[in-house]
Amino acid sequence: MLFFVRNAMLAFYPRTGDLPGLEDTDFDTFLPQFRRETSFMFWLGIVLSAWLFQWTPLFTVFVPLPAFLLSKGLRDKHASKIGSSEFYLVRQAMLILKMPAGLCWGRHPDVRKRFALPAYAADPTTWKTS
Amino acid sequence: MTHISFRDRGEPPFEGEVDYIVIGSGAGGAVAAATLARGGAKVAVVEAGAWRDPDDYPNSTYGSMRDLMEDWGAQVAIGKALWPVVQARTMGGTTVINSAICVRTPADVFERWEKEFGIGQRSGQGRLADRVWKHQDDLEKELSVEEVPPEARGRSNLLALEGANRVGYKSYYMQRYVKGCVGSGQCMQGCKKLRKQSTNLVYIPEVLERGGIVLSSAPVHRILLEGRRAVGVEGHFDHPATHKRGSAFRLRAKKGVLVAASATHTPVLLMKSGVKSKALGNFFRAHPGTGVFGCYDDPVDQNIGATQGWASVAFRDDPGLKLETLAIPLELVASRFSGGGTQLMERLARYRNVAMWCHSVRAESAGTVRAPLFGMKPTIRYGLDETDMKKFREGMYLLAKTHVAAGARSVLPGISGLPFEIPADNIEIIRNGPVHPRAYIAILSHLFGGAVMGTNKDVSVTDGSGRVHGYDGLVVCDASVMPSVLGVNPQHTIMALARCFAEDMLR
Repeated sequence: MLFFVRNAMLAFYPRTGDLPGLEDTDFDTFLPQFRRETSFMFWLGIVLSAWLFQWTPLFTVFVPLPAFLLSKGLRDKHASKIGSSEFYLVRQAMLILKMPAGLCWGRHPDVRKRFALPAYAADPTTWKTS
Repeated sequence: MTHISFRDRGEPPFEGEVDYIVIGSGAGGAVAAATLARGGAKVAVVEAGAWRDPDDYPNSTYGSMRDLMEDWGAQVAIGKALWPVVQARTMGGTTVINSAICVRTPADVFERWEKEFGIGQRSGQGRLADRVWKHQDDLEKELSVEEVPPEARGRSNLLALEGANRVGYKSYYMQRYVKGCVGSGQCMQGCKKLRKQSTNLVYIPEVLERGGIVLSSAPVHRILLEGRRAVGVEGHFDHPATHKRGSAFRLRAKKGVLVAASATHTPVLLMKSGVKSKALGNFFRAHPGTGVFGCYDDPVDQNIGATQGWASVAFRDDPGLKLETLAIPLELVASRFSGGGTQLMERLARYRNVAMWCHSVRAESAGTVRAPLFGMKPTIRYGLDETDMKKFREGMYLLAKTHVAAGARSVLPGISGLPFEIPADNIEIIRNGPVHPRAYIAILSHLFGGAVMGTNKDVSVTDGSGRVHGYDGLVVCDASVMPSVLGVNPQHTIMALARCFAEDMLR
């Protein structure tokens, strides 16, 4: 399951000449952490959205293969088309994939540096106990 | 000083007795609790979220959504579209993650409440409007309200004022509960610079200093009723990180229970506690809104400066909108941009050169909040009718027009069915855009109703002092009592109303 989610999220944020992609961040540490920390319903939504992403290239790039078997170029085209689908629920499903992936991508120091933003210090994960 | 945080399941239940219990520590709950404590009462504040001080606040947006928000900000209202409902779950409630905007309650709100709902007539304590405004004077002093200082305005806010001036409508730099803002652009993550005067820093410590009890990570599952009298609350602690259930807590109130758990949770809690009212959960309203990006030649760097620093209420009456700036964190921009892959990355690459400005609609549409069969998560049904959607669309056009007047080369409205990028000379097409909610990415930012005030018990839940009809010692003191939307930021009104209701309890 994690493979499908990972593959779909990576397709939305590829490395370009200008910007580091999701693959250039700590995504492989992030994803299991996110799975552990998020709610069951949110994770379920992500898994279902990833399945939708993987099994719909026939309708976007007209190739009867799952997205993870597409060439890099075709997968990129699929991500672009499905991410701006005219069908509302499909767009919403892709939003569910883009949002957590964006949380990982946008917090990475290399990405932030590219946008002249200061790097984040680690989150304290503490609370008041007395 | 007694603060009780998470207790493990193996520990004995926490039990106590006070004069008043306040459920929720946000704008309404914290102010009500402090008012009661100032009046000499022993008060317990019971908050579902953990207590995080500025040193505990997360740095990243990821941390903020995980540690401070309700359900990762993923709670949605179901209607013709699925629109997120953004609420906090932390000591201080939404005052920790909002922009601390301070706007006085407009007079027409009270006029409407009086005319349509019979609320606020002259009584022994004076007219509600006068009491609220008097409290707002005091709150402004207590919370060091000031205009966004020049050094914290940032280019996005400056451009917005310039654009509005050129279009020819009135706007201003916001008044906020922020003392000496340094423009760190971290309002949403909680202000680590200690400038934002959120209630976890001001009123909750005051309650403790005055001998009160504060329970954190303590979601109330039930208000205890004896006959028609509220006598306490009970629930189980919830671990701040793992959300594992902890030991039980049970508090008894000698004089009353005040509910300020938010416009979504207050109705659910009352329902789950067995409170009977025909109107409970009805007349849920909101200020739905969205943003329009303007693309500029030079970097705007919207995250430098106050997260929200500019606003206009020039269109509050016609067509019924408020306009504001809102810096969107880099991590969340992709959620506002359509597309994916290389195309999305090309769009994201322009982040430094875009500014996002938002509108909120003074919507008349109403929805419902219902309790689920299991658990406490509210089921929210809400959608905008065509009249409100037309206001919504017009707001996007006004924002686009302001961007263009400020020098934007193009705008990114994010409307499905229209081009992703619209050149400055073609923004009129927004006015012919779709009016279906599914065409827009929006959020419900300010929530109202669900336990509304009124004199007619068939269509209201509480009276003009927040007292639940037919019950003793049970008061609602958050935005759920408001029978209409305000058309301005509601925090100042929530705080002042809560103070009025708490005063009425003390009498």
